[in-house]
Amino acid sequence: MGRIRNEIRRLRFEHGEMTQQELAEKIKVTRQTVNAIEQGKYSPSLEAAFRISAVFGRPLESVFHYFQDE
Amino acid sequence: MSFREKSAWISMLSMSGIYGFYFWSVVHAGPKAGGFHFGSLLETIIALVVLQIVLTIAVAIFTPREAKAPRDERDKLIELRAMRVAYAGLATSVALACFFGAFDPPIVFNTNSLLFILVTAEIMRSACQIIQYRRGA
Repeated sequence: MGRIRNEIRRLRFEHGEMTQQELAEKIKVTRQTVNAIEQGKYSPSLEAAFRISAVFGRPLESVFHYFQDE
Repeated sequence: MSFREKSAWISMLSMSGIYGFYFWSVVHAGPKAGGFHFGSLLETIIALVVLQIVLTIAVAIFTPREAKAPRDERDKLIELRAMRVAYAGLATSVALACFFGAFDPPIVFNTNSLLFILVTAEIMRSACQIIQYRRGA
């Protein structure tokens, strides 16, 4: 099993200190879901991951990182 | 706490309280009370529906934006997982009820047992949703 980490928190602050609620509205999920994704508690669907990447104008692999457990 | 989580809390607490009172009444009335009371069950269902509607409206008034938001992918996943757990509990309990039904219990016992199983499964579903919301997913 591996873990998915992400740069959403950093990217939000780099994009005018975007709030979780603003990001949630852009990708059509709840603020609680954005919070769960940020904390690595919930792995978003591929579609939601692409929407998040599109909001920040970054490729998917620069927003999400997969770490294989040893 | 999201609107969906609050709804799950409302469902779990209202069902536990109202059906808890109903089953407590059935147990205390004893087998000599005359069997299955459709009237008291109807009152229980009406009380439950009214309580859930009132509480849900109250929550929606205080958090209107969240209440209007449709379920997202995480809500749906949590609901599916909770449904799977509740279904497993429901199927197992119904199998056990069928087994004990073979020993010819009074009809009131059978009817209330099946109702108890349904209510327990529904409470399990809400509890599973709450646990997953608390954990994050």
